[in-house]
Amino acid sequence: MSQHVLPPEPMTNEAIASRLTNLAKKKIRDGLIKKKNLVYLELNGCSGNIISLLNGQNPDFEYTMNSMVNILYSNSLMASEGEQAIQRLMNALDEDYILAVEGAVALKNNGLYNIIGSWKGEPLTGLKAAKMLGEKASQILAVGACATHGGVSAAKPNLSESVGLQTILPEKKMIKLPGCPVQPDWFLGTLAHLLLYGEPETDNLGRPLMFYSTLIHDRCPRRPFFDRGIFAEKLGDKTCLFKLGCRGPVTRIDCPTRQWNGHVNWPIGANTPCIGCAQFGFPDAMAPFISYDTTRVVKNE
Amino acid sequence: MSKRVVINPLTRISGFMEIDVIIDQGRVVDAKTKGNLFRGFEQMLVGRSPFDAVYFTQRICGICSAAHSIASSAALEDALKIEPSEQGRYLRDIIHCCEFLQNHIRHFYQYTVPDYVKIDQNTLFQSDHTDYRLPRKINDRISKHYFDSLAISRSAHQMLAVLGGKAPHNHGVFIGGITTQATAEKVVHIDSILQQIMIFIEEKMLPDVYDIAHYYSDYYRLGGGYGNLLTYGAFYDYKDLGTLYVDPLVSSTAKVQVFDERKIQEKIDYSWYESSKTTYKPDQVMPDPDMNKKKGYSWVKAPRYDGLPYEVGPLARLILSGEYEMGISAMDRTIARALETKKIAEIMKRLLTEIVPNIDTQQKYELPENAEGRGLVDTTRGALGHWLKIQNKKLSFYQIITPSTWDFSTRDDQGNRGVAEEALIGTPIQNPEQPAEIGRILRSFDPCMSCATHVYTPGKQMKTIKVF
Repeated sequence: MSQHVLPPEPMTNEAIASRLTNLAKKKIRDGLIKKKNLVYLELNGCSGNIISLLNGQNPDFEYTMNSMVNILYSNSLMASEGEQAIQRLMNALDEDYILAVEGAVALKNNGLYNIIGSWKGEPLTGLKAAKMLGEKASQILAVGACATHGGVSAAKPNLSESVGLQTILPEKKMIKLPGCPVQPDWFLGTLAHLLLYGEPETDNLGRPLMFYSTLIHDRCPRRPFFDRGIFAEKLGDKTCLFKLGCRGPVTRIDCPTRQWNGHVNWPIGANTPCIGCAQFGFPDAMAPFISYDTTRVVKNE
Repeated sequence: MSKRVVINPLTRISGFMEIDVIIDQGRVVDAKTKGNLFRGFEQMLVGRSPFDAVYFTQRICGICSAAHSIASSAALEDALKIEPSEQGRYLRDIIHCCEFLQNHIRHFYQYTVPDYVKIDQNTLFQSDHTDYRLPRKINDRISKHYFDSLAISRSAHQMLAVLGGKAPHNHGVFIGGITTQATAEKVVHIDSILQQIMIFIEEKMLPDVYDIAHYYSDYYRLGGGYGNLLTYGAFYDYKDLGTLYVDPLVSSTAKVQVFDERKIQEKIDYSWYESSKTTYKPDQVMPDPDMNKKKGYSWVKAPRYDGLPYEVGPLARLILSGEYEMGISAMDRTIARALETKKIAEIMKRLLTEIVPNIDTQQKYELPENAEGRGLVDTTRGALGHWLKIQNKKLSFYQIITPSTWDFSTRDDQGNRGVAEEALIGTPIQNPEQPAEIGRILRSFDPCMSCATHVYTPGKQMKTIKVF
């Protein structure tokens, strides 16, 4: 029997993001890999993903923007404004860049439901910007539920005719990071992987396996309650939330172990059901989020 | 000779906004503020389970999501005739405090500081104007704090997640209070983070804002506007604690009065909507769009109180609570935000001491066949209202008036401009090619266009908008 050498740290998904980051840091410091340009487009959505990315700790956002990537454009953060800001966006087209997009693409009326700026006196729609920048990007990340499949922006009756980024760039390969919002590690870990090794392995829906491979239900700390048939009757209960409509059994993501905001908690830790925000089809396919007694209780069997 | 200046996008805000101003003889003589994204949350909510509104409406905005969950929970409590316990209120208000801290710290450092402080070393901070006045030493100190603040603001979200499950878009706020039981360990965890935040506010944020105010003191005279102030009340009317911050109040021409919600109306004379009435109460009408309307120029509607535009937000709250007397201007607004950050941290500290561990505020809620409710709360940016109706146990009506709708409204039938539009009038512009003044004044309101333009109803084809 061959000798097994244990890895120096647990081979958990949580460790993956930090290992990637530390390696990327070291290689950048040693001059082995170069900082890449990043264009961060916010389209039709709530800008919740950029806010979530500011919460990143592993690596932190400060390190990412100072040492890993050169952010050429971000509506939320850049000092420049107006056409001068859009000029910087256009200048990016002449360089090599990674494109990250959050928010959906609004198709209604040729994209005029989401104008992201003005260029040479004409409105620059999210649709036009996403197509133009998507065609030329070296890699594309669809960040959050709205970008991956339309998300809440495309919820019924979808008045803005919002769609995910892939719909308007059908031929382009892109990495999809669903979630509402994205957990910062899912984005920053993927980014570190891109810098170090290129594109990470993804499933048939374009999601990186290192984050999206396991069902919440399979690693839920409340699984023993499910197995024993002990179910919560209201929010706030500490048993299995399945009968309140928990979407953990259909949602592939690593929340049970990675958790949120520096590993302090997650929705099920707050005694609420998973609403499936990291699953394609959210929100309509995951609604209703909260219901009481979704299954019939047979008494005196 | 007059000159037209259009800024699109106004960056470092939430969402997309265009500003259109006319400058004559070096001063702003006319101004229009316009929102640039439309999703239609109110229509999305019709037909959904009323319970879902708490999580669904949070998706209006990534920076003030907890505010919507609180207003939505309050509207449902009103409809379901449920009164949250005092412990439930304390816990929910602690979550709200975390969001205030996160938002105010981000808005000051990430969104406001780059207007006044030259941050080198990064392409993100390349500026369009040259009006930087801080001495090198102070400039470098505040630049460094820009990065320090990221960790502090992040830790405010971490505190929020301890009780709320995650942030943004928390899961903890719900009808009756919150879903988590606060254990002693959680209270101590939050308190220890809060301590670090309080040190940051005291030692960095307040000195930084006063240094900026000192070197840009002309902004005490810019961006004033009408001077009408409104708050729905914040951290007030607790059974044992009374009011920790401010009661529901309004003031116009320096006369302070008790707020009366029956005086709220929305007007759509200059917004792209039509309905049988162009002036209506929030629970009466969801108007249809009309892009062909000649007078229309924005998707943002025009809420009015007693027929007049009112400013909402930290400065309004501080003045109405009697804690700030300096004045109303772009700089006063910015200082008020920093002072309020300190105030909120103190309120939160106080509320934490009142928490009784392990109390469950949840029950199994029954939906009524038909009901109506409204939730009015003052949140980071100001007064936020949700109005809802339930028919056959489903949502049949939802109306949201956000703080940025108050501050960034259009004109109305009486000829009153919106609050931010009025604040720009008369502003001297040093260099129309680099109009730094406009962005500084508008950002003093902390605009959130994701919130203000959440509304859209289906209708006619939209014309191409001519920007020039």
